[in-house]
Amino acid sequence: MSCAEAGRIHTGDEVAQDLERTCDVCVVGSGAGGAVLAHALVERGLCVVMLEEGGYHTRREFDMREDHAFPRLYQDLGNRATDDLSLTMLQGRSVGGGTTVNWCVCYRTPPKVLALWRDVHGAEGLSEEALAPHWDWLEQRLHIAEWPIAAANRNNRLLWDGLGALGYERHSLKRNVQRCVNSGYCGMGCPVDAKQGMLVTLIPEAVERGLTVFANARVLRLETRGRRVEAVHAQLLDPETDRPTGRRLTVRARVTALCAGAINSPALLLRSGLDGGGRVGRRTFLHPGIVSAALFEEPVNAWYGAPMSVGSRQFAERGDDRLGYLMETPPVHPMLGAIALGGFGLAHQEAMEQLAHVQAALVITRDGVVEGDEGGTVALREGGRRLSIQYPLRAHHWEALRHAQVELARVQLAAGAREVRSLHARPVVVRRAEDLPLLERAPWEALRVKVFSAHQMGGCAMGGDPARSVVDSRLRYHGLDNLFVADGSVFPTSVGVNPQQSIFGLARWGAQHVAAAVGA
Amino acid sequence: MLPLTELPPAAAAGIPRRRFLQGGLLGGALLALGGGALALGGGALALRSTRLVPVPPEGLRVLTPGQYAVVDAFVRRMAPPRPGFPPHEVVRTALNADRILAATEAGAQEDFRRLLDLFESALAGLLLTGRTTPFTRLSPEAQDAVIADWRDSGLALRRTGFQALRALAAGAYYGSPRVWPAVGYPGPPAALHDPAAPVWKGGGAPRPGGGLGGGP
Repeated sequence: MSCAEAGRIHTGDEVAQDLERTCDVCVVGSGAGGAVLAHALVERGLCVVMLEEGGYHTRREFDMREDHAFPRLYQDLGNRATDDLSLTMLQGRSVGGGTTVNWCVCYRTPPKVLALWRDVHGAEGLSEEALAPHWDWLEQRLHIAEWPIAAANRNNRLLWDGLGALGYERHSLKRNVQRCVNSGYCGMGCPVDAKQGMLVTLIPEAVERGLTVFANARVLRLETRGRRVEAVHAQLLDPETDRPTGRRLTVRARVTALCAGAINSPALLLRSGLDGGGRVGRRTFLHPGIVSAALFEEPVNAWYGAPMSVGSRQFAERGDDRLGYLMETPPVHPMLGAIALGGFGLAHQEAMEQLAHVQAALVITRDGVVEGDEGGTVALREGGRRLSIQYPLRAHHWEALRHAQVELARVQLAAGAREVRSLHARPVVVRRAEDLPLLERAPWEALRVKVFSAHQMGGCAMGGDPARSVVDSRLRYHGLDNLFVADGSVFPTSVGVNPQQSIFGLARWGAQHVAAAVGA
Repeated sequence: MLPLTELPPAAAAGIPRRRFLQGGLLGGALLALGGGALALGGGALALRSTRLVPVPPEGLRVLTPGQYAVVDAFVRRMAPPRPGFPPHEVVRTALNADRILAATEAGAQEDFRRLLDLFESALAGLLLTGRTTPFTRLSPEAQDAVIADWRDSGLALRRTGFQALRALAAGAYYGSPRVWPAVGYPGPPAALHDPAAPVWKGGGAPRPGGGLGGGP
């Protein structure tokens, strides 16, 4: 059915009474999964209602201030973390989800990863051949193209130079931008709409074709009867305070698709009493990584310019029993920099005074691939409202993070760094290659060094065997006829590269199965 | 919470308390202890009360005046007086911290309040380190020692507490534009942000042109 009314984006303050909506598909979440899926469904002429817990924030508000951006655009004000705070994660929370705040990096899913998902985890149909047309379309539509090294900011250029000096593999990254002005504020919402995130591309296009979006709509639970989801129950939030307004929204859809991301999709299933035989929220993968901070004589000014444009696969493959990792760069701004940099009091202030001279490099480790690496868990705490996120950092993680810290420092010194600091609570400082073993001897233990995640995957694993997965090879939840999951939570392992394009591709590929369930 | 009388004999037998606590046995109980009645003073320990600081005229949304004083004391050690760094009275760091907490979920607020009570508590201090003075009443040097003790503790729960307090303090101070000059940050480039940019919500209205970049 096509929708009776024109597509529109509603915010929580505009809903004056309890509402009920009927549609073909209810999409929960508006990020890389939800937006692509909703767009592909309205393209097919279906009536779609999208629910987004975060607010509708546009470039009118993207003033490039950290103290404004983190509360508006991130989960838990940018402080989402495991229960013990040993691993902190950046995750988007607004219309556009992670695509509104990510650093614009796009990779096609590595063929080896797709093969692993097929051969080891029984996920059928996600082949390179099947995904290629979707990727082609996305790359054209979202202007995904290599960012030339000539345009790299100094933060990235130094990583490039250090990699080159050591003869390490290096490559320019692909970014989803159009007429990018190289501001450096991708993580706070692009002030000029150059970033081709879902907020300015597929969501408005889908709205023009009839998509209805409710922002500030927190989905509390799915109501099921027998093998069907009967209704999606949400509460509306006040855009100013993020607190419930008291108004309720009920969506009755022929099919429901969860695209709330690898933390919130499992949590919503659990809140709805759907635990997938105990597998929902299991095998959560985060690409745990560390950051290494180098000081250079000349200013680096890592706050300006495309934040992430150079990468290295030098250590992407480290054998079957070790976590491989990818080297990249984060931007450096005062608030996040202050939280990330180690040290306390005077020592911390002295480091902060040098912030303009800091070159930051990071790694993301490919978790979930090594035998026995089960990742973390998402669960509900007692009372059922609060999330519990656990991610035990084990010996194989620490081995990779320690190795990565040494190699990052080696690259930074090769680029001419005066000194390199680890992000330990008591930072380890090295000034010469001969000192690198000091980094190995540092305490690699939870809560003694900062561990980060910007990529959340898993928790609703896709697979052929209902006893080992949560959704089948058509993204349908085992045991229900009209519930699908189409986001990074269905990945059976981590991807090993920045995952947004993998999620785009999965959602566009999955749209055929969701549409088929509607009978379209 | 765990009454003191239930401490196993090992603790009474002179085994150093700190090593005993590493067992994690008290982990869950420690947080409860911070907010427990015992921490409020009185009794044989002759515990002293928090050194309060003036509460801002805007009022507090999450913290009690006592908890506000603990945050205020902590941020002054995170960013002590230093030329070029704006003072906390100007940045209003502790007030910023209260407002940051106000935007977090209720459960997280409660955890934080309990952590602050524990951090301040003389009784917890006694159990953990033998200190019988509330954090807010210690000299700056002694406060630094307490903070370092939490940071380097063998008990993961205390390292978690340190990380939580530190992240809040860092965000509340360095999130302020007043601190930008101290760290050499010129701020965002001018002329990119348009505070009057149109906001399109659909409903049949034509989409406006984009910004300097690709636009919608």
